[in-house]
Amino acid sequence: MKTDDLIQSLAADLKPVGRGAASRRIALGLGLGAAVSVVLMVLWIGVRPDLAQALKTSMFWMKFAYAGLAALLLALATSRLSRPGARLGGLVVAVALPFVLMGTMAGIRLAMAARDAWHGLIMGASAHNCPWCIFIIGLPLLAGAIWAVRGLAPTRPTLAGLMAGGAAGALATLIYSFHCDETAAPFVAIWYTLGMALVATLGAAVGGRLLRWR
Amino acid sequence: MDEIEARLRGLMLAGLAGQAAPYRQLLDELGGRLRAYYGRRVPPGLDVEDLVQETLIAVHTRRASYDTAQPFTAWAYAIARYKLIDALRRSRAHLRAPAEAAEALFVEPGAEAAMAGRDLSRMLAKLPKRTQALIRDVRIEGLSMREAADKHGMTETAVKVAVHRGLKALGAEYAAAKPREVVDED
Repeated sequence: MKTDDLIQSLAADLKPVGRGAASRRIALGLGLGAAVSVVLMVLWIGVRPDLAQALKTSMFWMKFAYAGLAALLLALATSRLSRPGARLGGLVVAVALPFVLMGTMAGIRLAMAARDAWHGLIMGASAHNCPWCIFIIGLPLLAGAIWAVRGLAPTRPTLAGLMAGGAAGALATLIYSFHCDETAAPFVAIWYTLGMALVATLGAAVGGRLLRWR
Repeated sequence: MDEIEARLRGLMLAGLAGQAAPYRQLLDELGGRLRAYYGRRVPPGLDVEDLVQETLIAVHTRRASYDTAQPFTAWAYAIARYKLIDALRRSRAHLRAPAEAAEALFVEPGAEAAMAGRDLSRMLAKLPKRTQALIRDVRIEGLSMREAADKHGMTETAVKVAVHRGLKALGAEYAAAKPREVVDED
């Protein structure tokens, strides 16, 4: 086909594209993934039985804010990396912010506690489960995120996969926090973050393959 | 550069709103610029015009990824560069010489020509089923793109893109398969 003919035919059946179509696609991918992940968690491990009381504690909302802020910033970074030529700019610093804040809180909590309380603050009662639960809950979310980014145009597939996985992992953590009754900041800073990192790593690994386009 | 950015961005915004005429003007201008850009960067053996067309198709099918708050030139350049890197990466595999028998060099003259007629349907069989059907309909049966699109329940653009890629794959398949099959015959 001659290039002129190709251009002619591409322009001939041009359909309007709404503003924000790309962001809507990412929201849709993560939203559908989250719906599946919520059902998965409720059927699999359930929400904590004392949820009504927990909603009145500041530690519940601290975990909620940590995961929620990380999810928001990582989703923004994912959206940016799905668009050719867009720069991350200040987002590089912003994405690190929730992790730095959580790490600082954990450090302060440990510094204030006696040495023999450290083990409990760090390991809680569910350290060996927590990251894996987040990882499993994150899988439908990751599938949704990868689907969304694949339909856009990431020019750095591995990095885009890492951020998409990070956003999926952070949302999985947010969902998991409705099950988990751990309340210590050091526990959250280590095991929640490790769960997110597992999903992000898988995202980077599959991104290099699945996020290439032609 | 600022003047180019402002003009092309204007055309792109009109295109995103569904106006065909400015959009065509945009693709025309991009086509010319891509031809010049790739012409200076593509090694011999890679088809510049193929790459231009691939990139125009990518610009078209992925136009939703353009953030209207960002510079259009940066977006288009990033796609052009991605396509260049992709083409260079793939061409390395093509340039690798296949391991063949000595007959590849000392083949009887005329054997190659004898192959040509029988090749098409066998090579067509290596494409995805739907692409095969589309190429048969459009290139052999003589349906229009529109008719083929209706028949297969696809959009016209999707048909055009599938046929374009299918024909390209056929060309590559033909170029790669010919020497090997002549050896097989002996």
